[in-house]
Amino acid sequence: MQIPWRAAPRAALSSPLTLVVSIATTLLLGFVVAAAVMHSSAAGSAAMTYQEGRLCEQTLHPVLDGERLSLDGARKIATKANGLSAFYTPVIRPDFGGPQTWARFGYRQGATDHLTVLQGGGKDGLWVPQTVAIAAKIKLGDRGFGGTLPPVTAIYADLAQPVDQWWCSEAKTVVPNVLGGDGQSASVIWMPSLDDMNSLPADYLGSLTMTLRFPQNKPPTTIDEAEVLRANGRAALDRINAPMTRGDYLAKPIAVAREAQRNVGSAILPLAAISVLIGLAGVGTVALQWVQRRHSELRMLWCRGAGPLALGGRGVLELGLPLVLGGVLGLLAARVLLPLYAPSSALAPGTVPQAVFAVLGVVLASLIVVVAVTTWKTHRTFQGRPVVLRRRWAALVPWELVTSGLAVLAWLNLSRNGLGTSEKGAALPAVDAAALAFPLLVVLTTALVAARVLRLSLGWSHHANLWRTPAAQLALRRLAAAAGPVTGVLLVGVLAIGTIAVGSSVAGAQRLAFLEKSGAHVGANSTVQVSQDLASGTIELPQSLRGNTTLVGMSASTLVVDPATFTDGAYLGDRAPDEVRSMVGSLTRTGDVAEALRIGRASSVEVNVVGLPRLKPTQYLPSFPKLGTRAGYVVPRSSVTSPEQVGSWHLWSSLPLTQLTDALREAGIHYTNAQDRATVLDGLPFLTVQWTFGFVTAIGAVLAVVAAIALLLAIEVRRRQNAVSGALSTRMGLRPAMLLSSHLMELGSLAAFAVVVGSLASALSTSFAVPRLDPAPWLNPAPVLPNLIPLLGMTVAGSALVVFVAAWTALRTARAARIGELIRG
Amino acid sequence: MADVLTAQDVHVTYRTPAGTVTALSGVSVSVPSSGMTVLAGPSGSGKSTLLRVLSLVEKPTSGEVLLSGSPTVSLSAARRRALRRKDIALVFQNPADNLIGHLTVADNLRAAAQAAGRPVDVEELLESLGLPGTSSWRVPALSGGQQQRLAFGCALARGASVVLADEPTSQLDSASADLVLSTLVSLPVPVVVASHDPRLIALAARTFPMVAA
Repeated sequence: MQIPWRAAPRAALSSPLTLVVSIATTLLLGFVVAAAVMHSSAAGSAAMTYQEGRLCEQTLHPVLDGERLSLDGARKIATKANGLSAFYTPVIRPDFGGPQTWARFGYRQGATDHLTVLQGGGKDGLWVPQTVAIAAKIKLGDRGFGGTLPPVTAIYADLAQPVDQWWCSEAKTVVPNVLGGDGQSASVIWMPSLDDMNSLPADYLGSLTMTLRFPQNKPPTTIDEAEVLRANGRAALDRINAPMTRGDYLAKPIAVAREAQRNVGSAILPLAAISVLIGLAGVGTVALQWVQRRHSELRMLWCRGAGPLALGGRGVLELGLPLVLGGVLGLLAARVLLPLYAPSSALAPGTVPQAVFAVLGVVLASLIVVVAVTTWKTHRTFQGRPVVLRRRWAALVPWELVTSGLAVLAWLNLSRNGLGTSEKGAALPAVDAAALAFPLLVVLTTALVAARVLRLSLGWSHHANLWRTPAAQLALRRLAAAAGPVTGVLLVGVLAIGTIAVGSSVAGAQRLAFLEKSGAHVGANSTVQVSQDLASGTIELPQSLRGNTTLVGMSASTLVVDPATFTDGAYLGDRAPDEVRSMVGSLTRTGDVAEALRIGRASSVEVNVVGLPRLKPTQYLPSFPKLGTRAGYVVPRSSVTSPEQVGSWHLWSSLPLTQLTDALREAGIHYTNAQDRATVLDGLPFLTVQWTFGFVTAIGAVLAVVAAIALLLAIEVRRRQNAVSGALSTRMGLRPAMLLSSHLMELGSLAAFAVVVGSLASALSTSFAVPRLDPAPWLNPAPVLPNLIPLLGMTVAGSALVVFVAAWTALRTARAARIGELIRG
Repeated sequence: MADVLTAQDVHVTYRTPAGTVTALSGVSVSVPSSGMTVLAGPSGSGKSTLLRVLSLVEKPTSGEVLLSGSPTVSLSAARRRALRRKDIALVFQNPADNLIGHLTVADNLRAAAQAAGRPVDVEELLESLGLPGTSSWRVPALSGGQQQRLAFGCALARGASVVLADEPTSQLDSASADLVLSTLVSLPVPVVVASHDPRLIALAARTFPMVAA
């Protein structure tokens, strides 16, 4: 290899600016592709983890459940399996010498460590649940079945939903179902050991129910780990070969997580591809700039007989190393910043190698672009016939018409199909990438229109006379003199601001929609059904629940609420508590007619509801907790004189479910139908869209960095012009403060234009798109735009910072310019 | 003695937004195989264009250019490159444009020799150029005149049959220009120079006056 080519990598050091730009270009390219690969993998892991959180931990590993087993048979299986096994007799009426009630005997290793002892506590005897002990008048020391059983050594608090994680897989056996008939289910009397089960009458030992669990110390965090756990578990169960039923609860979460990963991956793929194309165009620009900068050397080599391809090779030898370095840095940045942009930090095995291959791909593509561009440019410059007529065909193509046409198509998709799903019960929304693209296409179209308007305005700007404000006139002339770079910076700036706003808006709307929908669905943070004794006043609400819990009656679609406490417990979303309190509080009853609050599309005429007085709607609200926007009525409790005629009574609380149920258990208040807002709905469909637009925000952040760097580089590239014009202006009497204000006007107007156009475009597009990007359209309310003011504030602050730094750099250049630099030819 | 370079009825025109511009119109010139030929004329007379045509960097719109008696206009780009690599050296007006700034003086000479596939004795060549002891210097450490002499050294290192130079003294002070002139007259190969420097014209073995077309 000849010296100019051999020395090319070192030559890169002679131009730090090109070096930095080359590294930054592939850094961003590498970041985008590596982040896309890692983000979709992380989405799969996050989907897996989310679903595991909703599953019983003890059923992550495949499980076995058996019935009608003999004690010996069950014992052999347990010995072979080496898992956590539990044994239960059928529900019987044990004889402890007093009244007989329903119960079952059972043994599970470590059970007594997970029960709340009320009396006694010795581990060498029977542990009897409180309800059984009371009903059968069992005391400590009693022995059942004529003294053949070990003595009772503890009375424990009955297990109730929601149970502790250790009991979650046994809940249907150890928590009695109050809606089941007598003898169908009962609490468990725990034996001290499996051997002690032999002391039970033989009739009960031939028909045991057995459960076999394999608790995991570390639940899987990725889909692959889950698949390994499932496969190993199935193999282990095959080895046990027991006559029991298999439970494979991880199969569906794995499939759903894979679907989530695919959905997120396919949704972000077009965006990543567009970003890569933009990045490669950036690499092409770097190569063109390199040809211009190395023009003398290339011309000399050309004259010495080097061909265009050899000169292209010269380009790649000089720019190659920075490009590769940028790609590596991009990969590292994507890995290090993963917690900031991705929904999970857990990556499936093979993700990082995939990301490495993707980065290698774009780096290779970048090198090819450099060779192609430099070869083409040197051929055109040195070998082709000089053509002075420059055809600016790219500027003549109405790109905004193309993108607006695509936006219309995306809108048609979005308005027809929404997110791509309308099926209730479908595990995940089948995300339509075209529909998701709508807000981004609107932003892109607006950015292109803004760029064209700016370009035309700058072309026309020589007619403008602002000399009454010299700083403004200078700013305008500087903008016009650099119309090309200025338009480019505006384009990228609008895209960055618009993309960040679209990503944040849609992701925020999904987060809010999930909160609102689950809140509206449950009515409060947690709810339980209670007996009418609380409504009739026979039982009082525990002290610890006052101020945070309210009693609500439900008859068909009518709620009976206490105006004084309703807002303490109900989830009102963004509705003002005072408004609800005063509206419900103002409702009165006159004779047989009670005034009611009409909700949603409920009829405004008087209606009869079973168990309630005749309802006369006098006030209206479009939505209400629990009812959502469905048709319904709300009446105050004072209008209901016979609480026993109301369909059911519920406690609505702003407390977490466990706190509510603990308080009720302590007060001895029986409850059923516990519901928790956090778990009542499957949030994965919302999260899938949220994660997708989280990546959009990350891309927007990358574009913002590009815009900021481009602005600073444009200033640095114009260093000498700025220095000459600045030094000349100040020597002619322009004060430095005026020069700074001129630069602030120049860059500030550009940034303000980008912020206004980007924000308006994103607000407009998302206001149309967000209500239709609804993963659960059958649940009200529809997603709405979140408050964008904080985001706008951050955007303005960030832009102002970049503008100030760039203006200060320009001023410093003018003030620090050396005479030699100014007079250089 | 045969001519090393001959231009026969050369026309060069360019298309511009203002219409077609004629840079050369029916120019014929012969460069003998020794001595210095000066293309003299005012700015815009086509000196640089004719130099690019003679150095096979640019094809004429019409006409023929003979290198050692062989026609070149109809040759492929690769063949013309091969001729440039072996036979022709072009020295530009700006001294820095003729050298690779990030290489040392010695490496610039070696790079030039490598392009033509020839060996070079760097120290001897530098001695003959009046630049002894500068082989390890970076190019920017040389003065403009030294850089221009090094550029002619590169042409010699390549063993070119003919050296063409475009206004080689126009960007130099008078002392530096004198050194370059002495280098020019001492070159052992035929030299074609485009210039309107009277001192250079005075040294020419042959002057080819040009006027604006």
